[in-house]
Amino acid sequence: MVSHRSRTAFAIGAAAVTVALLVTGCSAGSSSSSTKSSTIVIDRVFDLKTADPSRQYEPTGAIVDKALYETLLTFSGSDVSKTVPGLATVEASADSKTFTVTLGDGHVFSDGSPVTADDVVFSLNRVIGMKGNPSFLLSGVTVTKKDDKTVILTSATSNPALPFILPNPSLSILNSKVVIANGGTTDEKDSAEAYLNANSAGSGPYVLDTLDLTSQVVLTTNPKYSGDDKPTYSRVVLRNVESATQKINIEGGDSQVALDLSGDQASGLGSGITVASTPSANVIFLLLNQNSKVSTITSNPDFVSAVKKSINYDDLVSLAGKGAAQANGIVPSMFLGALGSADKTTYDKTGAAADLAASGYKGEKVTLSFPSDISLNGVEFTVLAQRIQSQLKDAGITVDLAPAPVATEFAAYRDGKEALGLWYWGPDFPDPSNYLEFAPGGVVGLRAGWPEGSDATVTAAATAARAGGSNDERATQFTTYQKALNATGPFIPLVQPANNIASASSVTGVEYNAVWTIDIAALGSK
Amino acid sequence: MRPARATRAGRTGHPFARYLIQRILTSLLLVVGVTLVTFTLTNLVPGDPVAAALGQHAAEDPAIVASFRAHYGVDQPLVVQYFTYLGNLVHGDLGESPTTHHPVLEDLQVAVPATLEIAIGAIVLSVIIGVVLGTLAAYRRGKVTDHVLRVVSLLGLSVPTFWLALVLYYVFFFKLHIAPGSGRLSAIYAAPPTVTGMTTVDALLAGQWDVFLDASAHLFLPVLVLTLYTVGLLTRFVRTAVLEILDMDYVRAARAKGLPGRTVVWSYVLRGASIPVLTIVGLAFGSLLSGTVLVESVFSWPGLGSYAFKAASNLDLPGIMGVGLVIGIIYLGTNLIVDLLYSVVDPRVRLA
Amino acid sequence: MMNTRIKRPRIHLGAWGAPLGIIGAVIALAWIVVAFLAPVIAPHDPLAQDLPRLQAPGGDTILGTDSLGRDVFSRLISGAGVTIPLALLLVVLSVLIGTILGSIAGFFGRWVDETIMRITDLVMAFPTVILAMVIAAALGASLLNAVYAALIVSWPSYARLTRGLVLGLRSSNYVVSGRLLGFSPWRSLWRDIAPNIIGPILVLASLDIGTAILLLSGLSFLGLGAKPPTAEWGSMVSDAIGNFDQWWLGVFPGLAILTVVVAFNFVGDALRDALDPKSATLRGGGPTL
Repeated sequence: MVSHRSRTAFAIGAAAVTVALLVTGCSAGSSSSSTKSSTIVIDRVFDLKTADPSRQYEPTGAIVDKALYETLLTFSGSDVSKTVPGLATVEASADSKTFTVTLGDGHVFSDGSPVTADDVVFSLNRVIGMKGNPSFLLSGVTVTKKDDKTVILTSATSNPALPFILPNPSLSILNSKVVIANGGTTDEKDSAEAYLNANSAGSGPYVLDTLDLTSQVVLTTNPKYSGDDKPTYSRVVLRNVESATQKINIEGGDSQVALDLSGDQASGLGSGITVASTPSANVIFLLLNQNSKVSTITSNPDFVSAVKKSINYDDLVSLAGKGAAQANGIVPSMFLGALGSADKTTYDKTGAAADLAASGYKGEKVTLSFPSDISLNGVEFTVLAQRIQSQLKDAGITVDLAPAPVATEFAAYRDGKEALGLWYWGPDFPDPSNYLEFAPGGVVGLRAGWPEGSDATVTAAATAARAGGSNDERATQFTTYQKALNATGPFIPLVQPANNIASASSVTGVEYNAVWTIDIAALGSK
Repeated sequence: MRPARATRAGRTGHPFARYLIQRILTSLLLVVGVTLVTFTLTNLVPGDPVAAALGQHAAEDPAIVASFRAHYGVDQPLVVQYFTYLGNLVHGDLGESPTTHHPVLEDLQVAVPATLEIAIGAIVLSVIIGVVLGTLAAYRRGKVTDHVLRVVSLLGLSVPTFWLALVLYYVFFFKLHIAPGSGRLSAIYAAPPTVTGMTTVDALLAGQWDVFLDASAHLFLPVLVLTLYTVGLLTRFVRTAVLEILDMDYVRAARAKGLPGRTVVWSYVLRGASIPVLTIVGLAFGSLLSGTVLVESVFSWPGLGSYAFKAASNLDLPGIMGVGLVIGIIYLGTNLIVDLLYSVVDPRVRLA
Repeated sequence: MMNTRIKRPRIHLGAWGAPLGIIGAVIALAWIVVAFLAPVIAPHDPLAQDLPRLQAPGGDTILGTDSLGRDVFSRLISGAGVTIPLALLLVVLSVLIGTILGSIAGFFGRWVDETIMRITDLVMAFPTVILAMVIAAALGASLLNAVYAALIVSWPSYARLTRGLVLGLRSSNYVVSGRLLGFSPWRSLWRDIAPNIIGPILVLASLDIGTAILLLSGLSFLGLGAKPPTAEWGSMVSDAIGNFDQWWLGVFPGLAILTVVVAFNFVGDALRDALDPKSATLRGGGPTL
């Protein structure tokens, strides 16, 4: 028989291992909760693909590159309605086809060399020539150097929005000598991305310390930064953290800023944490395909009208949580020409029933396709889609949900194959002309099976809006365009989800910007 | 089970060497098979990798799309694409991931050690606990301890890992604040210089004690979750293996001779049971490496599972192919080793 | 490849083995009854979004409400009718495909055997998640499609087990004599071999039901299984991720999965003691997530 001693030894051994592990685990855990004061930790759900500004076109990439680089023009704080000088001032010709860029004095890159016209020409030509994601921002634009301080941008067509495009962090000015030395070119052969993912080559307030696309980005201050306001925090850690964990982190003092809290999460925060809630510039909308080959039901105008009246917008807004707002039109509320609440579409149960009867709908299943893995400012598309399904069910419309990862679903959306689709539009630049794509024959119009010539009223309004004019004229043109779109278009603007930025009370300067979300360098402490 | 086909000794000179070569060749062929199946399946998906990689706006620009297709070679016919892939593979080039813009090999050099770290942690813990508990259960067969251990190990096998991970995370991090958050390191620490890619080991090598402790703390909960399952598995298995050995004549003889209990346990029982147990440990380790996606997704652990999930949801063909390759190699490798161990120990079981 | 068959050790039906099996059977049966009665006993429509959102348990809702204002308790009990039947379907299909291919491989040997066994190697070397994602992407996300994805990786363990058993029986006296008497191989496969392999297969299958439930709910947790608004336990747990403050969203569906899986595992373990005491089943690289 086995002796008692060996049995006991086994048991003690087992217990000792467990206890030892628990002790190491817990003691180590508690030792890690302190944070150095000069470091600021920002939590973010990453959609980061690269830190190379000329290639990136993702919100997280914009946050990073905004801190590492500077652009020719920029915006001040959250105001995106007018541009302010960045590295340069820009003067437009009367026909909005020629733009004279004059570099300011004293701007230097992180290696101490001055920012020159050659750097501007190289950087912008690199964006155009690499044909990366952001290159469409400068489509039709040619860049030529006039002298060491002056660069001329020439647009093939009238391009009044160009000054509003230039502040985009994708159009950052890079140190051309450094980038060229590391494989940079202004064509598709460029191989500087690997270098730019490990180092920065800009004139921004920070330099890149380390970058891991899936876990975290670390920035340290750029000692050569020439701007007036030196950043407060000497080290910035931007971490990839799920939104639920962001909430725990900020409550526990593990992070100082949380960028992706949902309305529900933001409203349940404890004291000592400030939340800045503003509607974001993203507009979530429903599209009904007008191509009868895709669906004979959704292409019926009475059915479209019935769906518009069957949606309980207030309910969706409350579901989207604190700070969210109904999208009155397709242009978000902070842009020129946005619709007022008087012109929004409203829930009308009896009107919906009448329209539905007129459409001849007999309870057929309509498929609602949506990207299941998108969560926009804390609003999960899967949750929203289920609520829409339920609302339409109450109105007598049977909806079948078809979730798919955005990677697979986007192709169907782009090709205009979805009967009902739930998507969003994030602005490329803060100017309403970006939203003319929703007109018949526009990029998004075609996705809804709405080719040129489908709706004369909307097309006429869009043409007028495209022509431009003074700010007041443009505002009127865009409201007319959106009213027409709301009346007969195949899109139903639903909500602008809130952008909730939670920050420790000690952090100042937290401001949402529609282009780069948050300017890290503007963060201060009190 | 392999057929126990008798070998005519001497016919081939070195039957074992021949067997080994044959097995390795078969495994290599299977790896190629895995790449072919992965490639075919991924290309059957109706999505468009271009749309996935470029996003809403750039995917509309024909010039950008054409440039993308040319860069990633997806403008070529599928057959050409596949053979180009195989050709590059021979040179150790796994292609570039359109999702991460990195060579897949580099991505995997980060992801595989991250997963190895939790898998090794879990397997080491499980072996220690599983062998102790299994032996205990065997020795106390039919007694209360045995029954309790049976229930415990069955419970371990029945817990949904994703749920347990969430519950532990909720309790230890969200409520009690004694465990650190997700990821591999707290934000205040910079990752130690990469040697093995495993944060804990690298921290030790660099002599950074605080980083090591922090990395271990991050490792603790994911390892715990995976350990529970594997312990359930091993306890049951070790119990059976030990019972089998206890039944052997030589062990009975040793016990009858009155050798001290501890000597019997160490010299006879555990040594005798070690090969079947090693086998199972090998297989369990293999499935741990390829089966961590749920736990990794809860703890935002940047390992192979997360990478596979991300690659698959972005239709990132080179990424998917890379993961398929790694998992295939891990699986076939562990099986090869297990079979070899067996044929070394028991020459009857050999040669398929 | 799993050469872990071991000569019969002396394991008797433990004094607790049978009672555990009975406890398991009772719990499993109770869940199956719940699955059938769910439409009758659910206090609310599991899909109706008519209650206040994120209400804590107690009051008019036993287990609270979810982020869309649905009753968690009603969703929980109707979830039993979603996962359990499909897990059973998965196991039945795996057994069918696996035993048929395994018997063919074991009985005919040679290249047939070699081909089938290499296919099992190939399939088992394949990552389940990627397979499930690809299938979900190609056919659309649904629990049935998740079953297909799981099926592809789960039949090989039965094929291997069956093949091993058939190989052992093929050379046994009664099969050999049948062959000498001129019976067709199919007849001998069916008449002589089938009855002898049912026990071990049944044991493996009963232990596999739990694994199947874990696999399917795991796929749903990742968004690759049940399609919203279906009340599936795994996807209910995933709803809880964004709402950590509402602990009840995740805890109860997880407990439901745990109890069902434990119940089936108790039954399987007891069956193993009774029918196939020599095995300590662990299949190499089966469908894990």
